[in-house]
Amino acid sequence: MSEPILISGAGIVSAIGVGKEPTLKSLLSQSSGIGDVKYLQTAHDEFPVGEVKLSDGEMMSMLGLPQDSTQIRTSLMGMIALKEALQEAGINSDLIGSTGFISGTTVGGMDKSEQYYLDFLDNDRHNEYIATHDCGACTEMIADHFGRFAWLSTISTACSSAANAIVAAANLIKAGEADIVVAGGCECLSKFHLNGFNSLMILDTAPCRPFDATRRGLNLGEGAAYMVLESAASVKRRGIVPLASLWGYGNACDAFHQTASSPDGTGAYKAMAKALEMGGVVPSGIDYINAHGTGTENNDLSESQAIIRLFGDCVPPISSTKSFTGHTTSASGAIEAVICILALQHQFLPVNLNWKEPMENGIKPVTDMKSPRPINMALCNSFGFGGNDTSLLLSRV
Amino acid sequence: MKVFPYIKAVSQISIQEPLTDVWMESPHWYDANFVRSIDPDFKPFVPAAQGRRMGKLLKRALTTSLSVIRESGIACPDAIMMGTGLGCIESTERFLESLCRDGEQLLKPTHFMQSTHNTVASLIGIQTGNTGYNITYSHKGISVDCALHDALVQFKLGMIGSALVGGNDEVSPSYFTLLKKIGFVGQDSEVCGEASVAMMLSNEQENALCQVKGVKVLYRPDVCRLQSALSQMLSEADTSLGGIDAVMTGISGNRLNDKYYYDLLPELLPGVPVLHYKHIFGESYSASGLGVYATVRCLQHGFIPQSLVLEQPTCSVPAPNRILLLNIADGKDYSFILLEKICGK
Repeated sequence: MSEPILISGAGIVSAIGVGKEPTLKSLLSQSSGIGDVKYLQTAHDEFPVGEVKLSDGEMMSMLGLPQDSTQIRTSLMGMIALKEALQEAGINSDLIGSTGFISGTTVGGMDKSEQYYLDFLDNDRHNEYIATHDCGACTEMIADHFGRFAWLSTISTACSSAANAIVAAANLIKAGEADIVVAGGCECLSKFHLNGFNSLMILDTAPCRPFDATRRGLNLGEGAAYMVLESAASVKRRGIVPLASLWGYGNACDAFHQTASSPDGTGAYKAMAKALEMGGVVPSGIDYINAHGTGTENNDLSESQAIIRLFGDCVPPISSTKSFTGHTTSASGAIEAVICILALQHQFLPVNLNWKEPMENGIKPVTDMKSPRPINMALCNSFGFGGNDTSLLLSRV
Repeated sequence: MKVFPYIKAVSQISIQEPLTDVWMESPHWYDANFVRSIDPDFKPFVPAAQGRRMGKLLKRALTTSLSVIRESGIACPDAIMMGTGLGCIESTERFLESLCRDGEQLLKPTHFMQSTHNTVASLIGIQTGNTGYNITYSHKGISVDCALHDALVQFKLGMIGSALVGGNDEVSPSYFTLLKKIGFVGQDSEVCGEASVAMMLSNEQENALCQVKGVKVLYRPDVCRLQSALSQMLSEADTSLGGIDAVMTGISGNRLNDKYYYDLLPELLPGVPVLHYKHIFGESYSASGLGVYATVRCLQHGFIPQSLVLEQPTCSVPAPNRILLLNIADGKDYSFILLEKICGK
């Protein structure tokens, strides 16, 4: 087992709050952020969504950006989350110059592309948004708000993007390529992927019910979260008190289907097993699992099988906090990892809302916030299209 | 411990003849701002029934990947690491256009399913039954460089012993028009192309074509930072500035971006012969992968085709030992990749 990576700061934006304090409050009061669509201009108002309760203009004001600046919603949420993470970790403008930044996104600037695509093609009215379409542009816009990071990169593996950014950051620190890397992800709602998920018939018209027998699909959400990952030596040198540590992680490919998980959850099993192996932790040492738990028929069954196979008789308390935030797709890995950090810091189990009826061959999620034992180790699952499965093992410090 | 992986096989589909090295002798020359890739016969690589459901980019990616898998004999590498600037942009555009023109009621899932950036890396995993580490970088013109960097880091950490690394970008006529409007491609004498590249990396030297001795990625660096990053990379590779026989640049004919190279080179690498490849392979978000491919071939064959030499006729480069790739994307994202010939070859 190699030395764990420390987390010296974290920031989060989602439907249940802007910042860690309101997020914690919502988790403890069991208030979901899922509701009727308000900010996304879509014809599909039958689907509940987990929107960040701010307009683009309000976010620009919060960030001190002019109202007429060329911005995409994904980057705006990213900037707010990154600001919180950098401030907490004490990363000032001097330190940014030796800090790396890895962001995960897939939607990128699609919110503007879907608004202006015909303008791009037919006239030259909104060409400034052609250059903000791609994933890399989104990362650069976020980064440029804070100064000049040493280097940037962008990972796009659909719904595991942010988790994979955290993995890549940790590897770079372990390899001695960097002392501090900020990693996570961001994703706004778009008509593009709302309609895409709808075409796959995996959206629920009611609030999602992960791991429930009556589950009918997911609710999309949006948000951003970043964490400052740092070597132990750097944390010591800077005199920072870390929030938690990244004890292990694993990524595996399910190698089954582009948009469906294998029935036995091969990829999920391998990702979790790798994370435990790297951390030198046995299954009974895990105190909480933040499941991918989208609320689709397929995911929850497949993930259940993988968990039951790995944990056998000692399945730990499990919940899907997508019942609070909706499925924040590329950002979910980081959003849920920050939720795990809150659970470790404040010693509570985030519950699985809307769960009533056990599913056949499935796990029974947590509905009581009180943990039977101290929460020292939390596993956080993120699975993406293409069977891209990642599991992060977070530890209390 | 220093572990530098070897490149065991490389393959490309581009605006040059696909899956061969004939460009080294007789490249195709184009007098156009936009040229699409020359597709090979996909049949030996893509089953016809499946191919009908795949976009061009997926077929190209599968073909280059399978071709290096077969050539290297590494059927199931420990990792699949891909780069793409735009992902399957044709599928994305078709879904987007349908959404914008016909509204939100009649959309079919096929193009959405193929629009995700990691569709390529996943497809290779699915087709070859590979459940290992699977990643996709999507950061503009350094996407492939980031994938290669990830590979190097994991070799160094002993996490992997082999990796399939590649890059794939397609450009549709409509998207070319958009990218040209914002000055990204097709400016001045620049040719916008498409790129599918695959390379097999391994920690075993047997039958290797060359060795990867370093990758560095930087954002908006000044000359000072570039110099210190380069000297650090060279020292880790047990060499120095004098050990670089040539620098392979991404000079493309786009005056605005080329200026960054012309301003930097005399200061960073004075006297080092300058090579280029984008006038042959075209510009695209994954073009840097073709730069790696071309450099691998130069080191493998021990000669640099005159067509790659930028500053003629002042320098002819004899059998090169070490070539540095310098990639500058949009004047913001920079990368160095250091490749070295196999000792004793």
